[in-house]
Amino acid sequence: MGLLALGTALDWPEAKKRADQVRKWGIEQLLANWHRAKGKERNALLWGDEVEYLVVAVDDEAKKARLSLAQAEILKSLAEDEASWKQGTRPQSPNNEHDGEEPPHFHPEFGRFMLEATPGKPWGIDFKDLLKVESNMKWRREVAKAHMAPNEHPITLTTFPRLGTKDDYIKPYYPPSGPALRSQFVPDEIANPHIRFPTLAGNIRSRRGRKVELNVPVYKDTNTPEPFKDPTVNYDLHIWPEDDDVRNGAAKDGHVYMDAMAFGMGSCCLQITFQAKNMTEGRKLYDQLSPLGPILLALTAATPIYKGFLVDTDVRWNQISGAVDDRTREELGELPLKNDRWRIPKSRYASNSTYISQDPRLRKEYLDPDLIIDEDIKKRLMDDGMDDLLATHFAHLFIRDPLVIFSEDLEELDLNKADHFENLQSTNWQHMRFKPPPPDKDDIGWRVEFRSMEIQMTDFENAAFSIFIVLVTRAILTYDLNFYISIQRTAENMETAHARNAVHDQKFYFRKDPFSPRRPNPHSSSGSNVSSTTSSAANSPPPSPSLTPVESEYELMTISDIINGSADGSFPGLIPLVESYLNSVNVDVETRCSLASYLDLIRKRANGTLWTGAKWIREFVATHPDYKQDSVVSERICYDLVKAVDEMSVNEGRNGTVGWELLKGKNT
Amino acid sequence: MKLILSTSNLMLGGHPVIRQPTEKSNVELINSLRANFQAAQQQHRSGGEENVPETKQQYAAWTKQEDDALYIPATDFAHGLSEERSQYDITVKLFYLPGIPASRRCAHTREAIDLVLRELHVDSIDLLIVSFPGILFDADDDSEEEEMSSDTGSEEPDNFDSIIQTWRTLEGLQEQGMIAQLGVAEFGSERLARFLPHTRVKPSVDQINLKDCCVVPKSLILYAKQERIQLLTHNDCMDVLPVGTTRELLGPGAKGAGILASAPDADDGIQGDVAPQWVVKYTAVVKDRGVVESKGYFALADVGSCVQQQQQ
Repeated sequence: MGLLALGTALDWPEAKKRADQVRKWGIEQLLANWHRAKGKERNALLWGDEVEYLVVAVDDEAKKARLSLAQAEILKSLAEDEASWKQGTRPQSPNNEHDGEEPPHFHPEFGRFMLEATPGKPWGIDFKDLLKVESNMKWRREVAKAHMAPNEHPITLTTFPRLGTKDDYIKPYYPPSGPALRSQFVPDEIANPHIRFPTLAGNIRSRRGRKVELNVPVYKDTNTPEPFKDPTVNYDLHIWPEDDDVRNGAAKDGHVYMDAMAFGMGSCCLQITFQAKNMTEGRKLYDQLSPLGPILLALTAATPIYKGFLVDTDVRWNQISGAVDDRTREELGELPLKNDRWRIPKSRYASNSTYISQDPRLRKEYLDPDLIIDEDIKKRLMDDGMDDLLATHFAHLFIRDPLVIFSEDLEELDLNKADHFENLQSTNWQHMRFKPPPPDKDDIGWRVEFRSMEIQMTDFENAAFSIFIVLVTRAILTYDLNFYISIQRTAENMETAHARNAVHDQKFYFRKDPFSPRRPNPHSSSGSNVSSTTSSAANSPPPSPSLTPVESEYELMTISDIINGSADGSFPGLIPLVESYLNSVNVDVETRCSLASYLDLIRKRANGTLWTGAKWIREFVATHPDYKQDSVVSERICYDLVKAVDEMSVNEGRNGTVGWELLKGKNT
Repeated sequence: MKLILSTSNLMLGGHPVIRQPTEKSNVELINSLRANFQAAQQQHRSGGEENVPETKQQYAAWTKQEDDALYIPATDFAHGLSEERSQYDITVKLFYLPGIPASRRCAHTREAIDLVLRELHVDSIDLLIVSFPGILFDADDDSEEEEMSSDTGSEEPDNFDSIIQTWRTLEGLQEQGMIAQLGVAEFGSERLARFLPHTRVKPSVDQINLKDCCVVPKSLILYAKQERIQLLTHNDCMDVLPVGTTRELLGPGAKGAGILASAPDADDGIQGDVAPQWVVKYTAVVKDRGVVESKGYFALADVGSCVQQQQQ
């Protein structure tokens, strides 16, 4: 989440009036910053992971697990400790394992039951750094736990299985139907009380003209009622005008219905941010990682339960997308355009829609022909010297309205800040994010964030996926890999990744040959002083008349083939590419062993030897004595699941302990 | 005559060699040499000189002779690294090949290093790892590595004295500032213990090949830690460039480069025996970004009727 400045937040009708001003100022801040930072060079690879937790309070007597709304107290206590660590007293850590490491940072998140933790200092590419990631994640969990009540636990499930049910699933309990969310399932108190969050949720609802609407297909088990009508929906509520939504058909048959931002933004993700050597490299990584987004989403699938029901999807993505979808009926195409400017095909939270690298391999055909952009903004950017591709990217992000505006910020434009720019940038939740350096931090370069992965139940898995992505970026740069496909195919892949067991049952569009042709000029790839950063000469992809049709460049592949390579050798596979990279650099024995165990996890997740989190959770529910084959995940199942996940985060499936099916496999 | 084979920068070579984990082999070297030869031949052919009459020795057009050395393919050493020297970690691994007298290693080492320095446009390297023939590390056996003779059975395993003798040369180059650190490959703890007392400059690195790197002998880990020797992994094979492979690579026929004559009496190529002497692999990694910018191999083979006889 972005900066949490305080001030007077404008309600929607007021905010809407100031939207143009915020956009204009945001663009001026972007330009000032771009001029300042476009020549930044030789930034080291630094990267960071973000791990998000649910805080779950366990009641062993009543056998109930509830979300704890203690975020504020926990963060306060953590902040006090952080302050005292800075004065020299370090958090206790057995056997000084974390000597020399900065204490971790904790951050608030949208849900008042969530915490986010990042390493105290970004990681580098020194392979020894990679060894610290997992233990640092475990340390974060320990530190977080130490600041919770004895019965509270940091749990890395993407969603709380019974969020929004009729029972008292939160502690302390608040009844639903507050003025900000107007949800019939969750109270306003579910959100972080900082004014930014209720305003965000309220303004999304106001802008949209009704509540957000999430319908997730229910998993049809043998005793699931047919047709399935979500039994938790109350059709007789008359507190808010939005209570009409369900009477107007918002809840669909066969689906689990949810109506608030908390159902999406209350999900935990695993996000990785990389610092690139310069803007050129950042733009390249943005493009090349984009097609990997859906693949890693399916591979990390961990979200089979919503609101107490098993659902027929495995990942969180579309639920978050729906939870922050502020589009009006006109923008959605349900009404003719009258007051709004565009039909907008995607939510603010969606797969990304642009490629931005000035790469000769980027063909026009890969771009989205129906991309919506604000032409005036694009012109403003290009008049000031920005190239077509980057100007298009930002002119696309800036079709949105700013959602949270503080009136104090509208008094004077400060070109040394990025607050207005970030207002739009940070509420465009695409699966990749291209981040300009913050204007006030000279030592930070251009960054790229990889945002699609689901949080995993153990730190071993979270470390494995984080490090895998880091190594993939090194392989991309080392071998100048080319993963370009038409960007609409990536959007389709994102949908495909939702299917139950998509990781094995579905195929994904992927580029057949990731290698570039033999290059004659040795310096063409290193690009340290590619003129494109300073000129707009190469501002759009060159036409490609003599090339084969783009459709013949990619095909549908299994995730196993994409990750491990195809059996006939036609596609090399991401793991063999990473291995080949590792064979070209000096890696010490101990590090290589750890890396081997991480790569092994990913290899086996892809080929089906190990289960995804989603599959394991489904099996846990299906084999629970309390389960009645009716898709219902009861309070008791939820309690036992939380207990099992908590145990798993410690024992990690070793020696046949809980979770071995997704962590270690049979023989260990 | 010397044949100097080069791969050029593999990172620019299009299809990198992705090896199946089960393979322990020299496919990367052989495939990239072959690819580089083919690219040079193709470039020559498309160079617009179609009307030049077919000469008997076609290779002359895409190779370059300099004194008694034939560069295959021709290389002008025109491209160095793109950033300043200080941005890179340059590691060089020199494979002394089986059956070549240890007495030549002093010259071979200089030759090999010199080619790498010219290729990368630098005047020093950060780490030189030397691989002696016949030393095979066995991770399953904690006792000691075996000394192996190659499959022809005609050679002695590399003996300890010649290793010490070679090391003196390396220490000299290190002291001249040409090499920052030295390393060995496939040394077990006992061999290291025997070796270290004879060194002025201790190896900083011991590089070991492990199929499953989680079975490193504890004794080696402890000893290396105690002696501050870093244990690094690799997956190179022992005999990287056997004679037969070299002949196939350079000979006539579909897979060959057409350097060697097709028959003892043919004048379509160089006559005589071919004897590979050494192989050197270099990598330049951008330090704080972990990107491999340059990686390649040079190999040197003697050829002709007056090839120095192998030591029997």
